[in-house]
Amino acid sequence: MRIGRLGLGALALSLATAAWPAWSQTKIDFFFPVPVEGKLAREMTRLVKLYNESQKEVEVVASYTGSYDDTKLKAQAAAKAGKPPSVVLMSANFNVDLKLSGDIISLEPMLKADETTREDFLKDFWPALHANATVDGELYGVPFHNSTPLLYYNVEHFKEAGLDPAKPPRTWAEMVDAAKKLTKGDRSGFMMPAGYDYLGWLMEALSMSNGGRYFNEDYGGEVYYDQPSMLGAARFVEDLIFKHKVMPQGVTEAGGVSTAFFAGKASMVLLSTGSLSFIRESMKTPYDVAFVPKNVRNAVPIGGASLVMFAGQSEDSKKAGWKFIKWLSSTDTLGGWSRFTGYFAPRKSAYDKPEMKEFIAKNPDAKVALDQLPYAKPWFATYQTVAVRKALEDEIQALMNGKKKADQAVKDAQKKADELMRPYAETTSLKLP
Amino acid sequence: MQRRMSLAGTTGVLDGIQAAAVPVRRRRLRLLPYALLAPSLLFLVLFTYLPVARVLVESLYDKPHGTGAATTFVGLGNYAKVLADPAFRQAALNNLIYAVGVLVPTIVLALAFALAVQRSTRFSAVLRTVFFFPSLVPLVAAASLFFFIFLPRVGLLDYYLAKIGLHGPNWLGDSDVALWSVIGLTVWKNAGYYMLFYIAGLQNVPRDTIEAAMIDGANAWQRLRFVILPALATTTAFVVVIALIQLLTNVDHVIVLTRGGPSNATNLLLYYIFQSAHENFEYGKAAAATLMSVAVLLAISLGSMRVMERGARGNG
Repeated sequence: MRIGRLGLGALALSLATAAWPAWSQTKIDFFFPVPVEGKLAREMTRLVKLYNESQKEVEVVASYTGSYDDTKLKAQAAAKAGKPPSVVLMSANFNVDLKLSGDIISLEPMLKADETTREDFLKDFWPALHANATVDGELYGVPFHNSTPLLYYNVEHFKEAGLDPAKPPRTWAEMVDAAKKLTKGDRSGFMMPAGYDYLGWLMEALSMSNGGRYFNEDYGGEVYYDQPSMLGAARFVEDLIFKHKVMPQGVTEAGGVSTAFFAGKASMVLLSTGSLSFIRESMKTPYDVAFVPKNVRNAVPIGGASLVMFAGQSEDSKKAGWKFIKWLSSTDTLGGWSRFTGYFAPRKSAYDKPEMKEFIAKNPDAKVALDQLPYAKPWFATYQTVAVRKALEDEIQALMNGKKKADQAVKDAQKKADELMRPYAETTSLKLP
Repeated sequence: MQRRMSLAGTTGVLDGIQAAAVPVRRRRLRLLPYALLAPSLLFLVLFTYLPVARVLVESLYDKPHGTGAATTFVGLGNYAKVLADPAFRQAALNNLIYAVGVLVPTIVLALAFALAVQRSTRFSAVLRTVFFFPSLVPLVAAASLFFFIFLPRVGLLDYYLAKIGLHGPNWLGDSDVALWSVIGLTVWKNAGYYMLFYIAGLQNVPRDTIEAAMIDGANAWQRLRFVILPALATTTAFVVVIALIQLLTNVDHVIVLTRGGPSNATNLLLYYIFQSAHENFEYGKAAAATLMSVAVLLAISLGSMRVMERGARGNG
């Protein structure tokens, strides 16, 4: 039923766009999601209008396509209907799967036409972004906006509990200690979102802070769920709930965690840096931010979206799309978008601009988030990304509900993930001469 | 049914007479119904039967995602894979619990509401609106509202529970409770809608029978149990069919509230199908699961239609 309706929508869309005269201009479709509706969609529409007015050769038709997941769905549906969008702003951890399914194209030919190399092109982008931009050693996505997890804490609660708000916990041990002091009545010392998608990302943060890698960033058929780094992270979550009793039992979605934080029912929360603007606007009492506490090392996964190009478009359309991508990922555009949304700009040079320096000086919390960026690592992206991630999430959710112990949970998650990635392994690393 | 059959019988006889008398006019007459049906038939074929046929074909083929392997005919392989998938079994079981858990209280409430507001006084008109209101709220909006009602500790539900000294569970985050929270939301949403059918059904319960029962000394419960309920059998059968179809085809609230979690505790069949097709690139499995769900729906609908026909015959 849902599929049918989407198909119809895609049909209507393609009919509507086909009705326009082409002239000498190349007309291309651009699909974009925004996690927060309204304001951001309007800003993107404004940017595209600005681009269309700035030159004559390319006309970009921008379509707001809902959430990250919806955007992937709609772009694939449009491609299936024979009308692939030229450029799509896609959640960066879908790139491996979309390359494997043949939906998106390598950007290497465009680099070649521009007489540049991948290394040169990516040089200005934060190192943590390179892995998600490339698949099997070729460029597939141009990073557009990014985020990492961040620890937000209630300054008044800290003072009340005799903790120094200028010295937030830096290690897991300090965090447990603080959380115990902060937990009082129906107030939790610590909370983290545990709905699908968010939980996988935060477990990646905890396992990386525990020295781990979560997945093999060079090969899509491997994850490290039953390794000490993830096992330790899973036990840590289990202990926070059942041993230290500083986190409520069961799963709380991101909206529940931020609401609890605003309502003073949670003193420390792990949320995305992408929530910075939202929390800045909604939080009534003083708060501050800090790095994600570490056990072995400081490390966080990067999240965000990159610009990809869909298969099945004409050469003219490809050229036009690439031109648009280059404009959209220019230092100035990225910097402006970053200040507007609260996401990181993926280009380091964006932070050398005076308007950015001024912005950072005005928003010290954005500075902490930026300082954590050098410790960022790639976002998990494997064969069957969503299902492989869910294999871990289902088990951790069971653990959070007291249905499973950490040791068993990571073992079962690994088994399920291996099963899911098996067909890929069979045709790659296990295919021997 | 009987009525339709006898009607068909008469037209048959009439056709025979006309066939002998004016053959040309008869042919035109015979084409006319088809011509009139053509537009809707065309759309029915294009947008209903053709996709069903395509799904059927798709369910027999498999194209392993991302391995470069070609599409191969696998016969019933996808069906076997789906049936062996623990996630599918859990979704099917969840859907069963969900269907029964929603259906029973919804029908009881709908009937109770209908009995309470069947007389057209100004007060019952207000009450009707109040009971019907949840049906006017789109499911997505209702789910977004309930997200805040169900929030642990800060939500509306826990706020009022705390006032009477109770401590609520983690409504959507506890895998033992989450499905029941979703059921509660759906009952709230649907009961008022089915009330409408029962109000209509109650208008058709013959006054004389009720009065006769009153004269015979039947009390209110006996009148409900032995007069009104049997007369409402057709309505109930109808409500059960549309309710079951709705319960299998609406997952908006699951998408908004839990996305099937925690640990698949609220995963329903349609959402499982969505995940297979759009998250996991398993189109063959999704097609097989779709066909199986549609088959179950068809079986339920046919069964209930038989009940309805029997009811109609009994009444008429």
